[in-house]
Amino acid sequence: MLRRLACTIVTCLIGAMPVAARADNSPDAALARLLDEARATAANPDACARPDRDQLVSILCTGHLRVGVRDEYPLFGTHSGNTWQGYEIDVAHAVAQRLSVAVDLTKVKPATRIPMLADNTIDLVVATMADNTQRESQVRFIRPHYYQSQTVIVGPRDLRIQGEDVRGQTICVTIGNGSNAELVSRGARLMLFDDPAALPEHLADQACMLAAQDDTFFAYYLNDPDFGSRFTEKFGFAEAPWGMGVALEHTDLLARALDLISQIFHRDGVFLAAAQANHVGTRFLRQQQEVWSRPDCNTDSGSANPACVLPPSNPDLAATPFANGVAEFEAMVARLTGIELTLPMLKIAPAWSLFLNGVVNSLLLIAGALIATLAFALLFGAAMSASPRPLRWTARGVTIALQSSPILLTLVIAASIIHELLPYSAVLVLSAAIIALGLTNGANAGQAIAEAYWTLQDERGGLPIRRFELFLRALSRSATQIVAFLINAAKGTPIASFIGAPELLSALTDITSFSSGRATTYTLLLIFYTVVVIAVIWLCRRFQTFLERGGVLA
Amino acid sequence: MMVLTSGLLSRFLPAFLSGMSVDFEMAGIALVLGLVFGFLLALARFRGGVVGATASLVVGLMRAAPTFVVMFFLLNALPHGDLSGVMIVAVSLVPYAAAYVADSGVDALRQWHAGSHLACLLILPNIARAFFVLVMSSSAGAAIGVPEGIAILLREAQKLPSIGDMLILFVIGIVCFSVPLQAGFAAVRLLQRYLGRVALRNRPEPLPESSPVPARS
Repeated sequence: MLRRLACTIVTCLIGAMPVAARADNSPDAALARLLDEARATAANPDACARPDRDQLVSILCTGHLRVGVRDEYPLFGTHSGNTWQGYEIDVAHAVAQRLSVAVDLTKVKPATRIPMLADNTIDLVVATMADNTQRESQVRFIRPHYYQSQTVIVGPRDLRIQGEDVRGQTICVTIGNGSNAELVSRGARLMLFDDPAALPEHLADQACMLAAQDDTFFAYYLNDPDFGSRFTEKFGFAEAPWGMGVALEHTDLLARALDLISQIFHRDGVFLAAAQANHVGTRFLRQQQEVWSRPDCNTDSGSANPACVLPPSNPDLAATPFANGVAEFEAMVARLTGIELTLPMLKIAPAWSLFLNGVVNSLLLIAGALIATLAFALLFGAAMSASPRPLRWTARGVTIALQSSPILLTLVIAASIIHELLPYSAVLVLSAAIIALGLTNGANAGQAIAEAYWTLQDERGGLPIRRFELFLRALSRSATQIVAFLINAAKGTPIASFIGAPELLSALTDITSFSSGRATTYTLLLIFYTVVVIAVIWLCRRFQTFLERGGVLA
Repeated sequence: MMVLTSGLLSRFLPAFLSGMSVDFEMAGIALVLGLVFGFLLALARFRGGVVGATASLVVGLMRAAPTFVVMFFLLNALPHGDLSGVMIVAVSLVPYAAAYVADSGVDALRQWHAGSHLACLLILPNIARAFFVLVMSSSAGAAIGVPEGIAILLREAQKLPSIGDMLILFVIGIVCFSVPLQAGFAAVRLLQRYLGRVALRNRPEPLPESSPVPARS
């Protein structure tokens, strides 16, 4: 009986022991061995003085772990008075505790966190840093990752979005956000802001209908009862794993120790508990706890196993074949004039493609708007010059309605009706814009033609003349007005970007959302449109001369 | 017909009218700035010579620059510091307003120079017409998040379930814009007719060899 009881107690004790501790290849055992060796080294004063010592030995020599953390990132790292709070602060404390050293917290910013590691001001960064291929050459990331953010679309609770369809929707974003390129590829229109803090502010004042930013950023605002009652996450995309980081040099032992600690923290729910305590999203951490509890991952080589570890995100955009030449040109301009010329649309392949399409679409849009304006001018002119009163009154009523509707609204109405009838496409949006611009300007020009027609008829005092000939004479008399509205139509084409027409303004806004060089880009845009409109004015003046000389009567 | 049956209309209309007042505000600022720059340019063009040619070139460029692109240029390419969205839209309308005032101003100066002071006053209805064009153009502010009339209209429309409801709301918006606009144009036409009649009444007896009015360039 006693033997059976003893066996049961031993079995229970073994069962209660951490699974990892039973095997030599467990992360716990590997960490224990590594720390024992490092402590033995650190016990030797000569080792602590060696310039090529590993950073782990340095930490054990001083008894302090210097950690760079954010100080103004709600829920993740905030500093008020002497109090640090947040998920990353708790992670830093837990790591230091595991190493049995004290923790010294230092505030870092995105721009300073990697340089501070490189110049040995800090030992470790736990500061909202996404692990991506660009940063891999500057910092050694600890894997597994301690968190994963994603970009979320936030909008009013009563706004419905079909699935993840944001085509044609205006979304407020911050410049340089890595997920902007994906939003562009999904057909969204972007409204750009410099500072993320502007996004909740403009959602609240309704300047933005939707906004896109990291879920970690919006988590704080959505936890606010007032904001949370009005706005909600619509969907998330573009996941980016966050990693602790150490310097590239002299950190082999430290990185290895932190890799093992991260594994253990995931498996034992240390990260999860810290997230829960700070009201941070836990979906990713729960998934990771399952992963790191699996036998194939819960080993001392788990952090190198691609089946267990997430790959870094890849924000690199392909360069154009002539990117180097463009860069040399930029450098030459800067050298000769001191002007910082930046031409991302010529250096980044997706930007180049957007730029080319934008130029072609803009020219097509202008040509289409001119033809549509002329066609609608003739149509409205003929209708308002016709004998049947119902036809005249109808045309006049439509003209008054078009004159009273700002062009932006007319474009939206045209796009809404066309989208209702046919599925969304770039050609369709361009067509809607051409029709709207043609209608607005053509109706006004048509009114001028009709006024000229009736004036001419009054002047003739009832003398017989063929209606068609009188109409041609009216065209000649109203040439100035027709040309003025043709020019107006050409000038109005950039507004089509508001309904998602893929013309140049739209393309360049998309390009600047994921690249640099805003000032150069928009200056080039202004020059492009001004030159094109000047060319249109020149062509229209020639057309006006043709009309005034009675070319249509010949 | 959710628009007409729910309390949406009573909530929407005050907000929309408040947004329309922002359009009028932006147009007003643009017109004042346009008058200042436009008259300076008109004076320079009227003087002729190198100054006049330069002014003509500037007016030509301002006439060709699309307002919507100028707005995005101001927003993105220039350091605007604390310049609000309203001011960005207003300033983007200035090239159009100044070019228009410069053109009308040159005509007015020529009339004044020819002794037809009342004909010169015909610039007033032209400026009033320009103001209404500026009001309509200021709706471009919706694209950069300015809470003007069209922005409020579109925001409300986006929440409606059907295209039918959206179109009803759009029609309401057009009617709201058309009332001051058509009234304004009617007032302009009356003013124009009145000035024309006064000009005819006060026209001096034709001289055998009267000096001709300079032609518009």
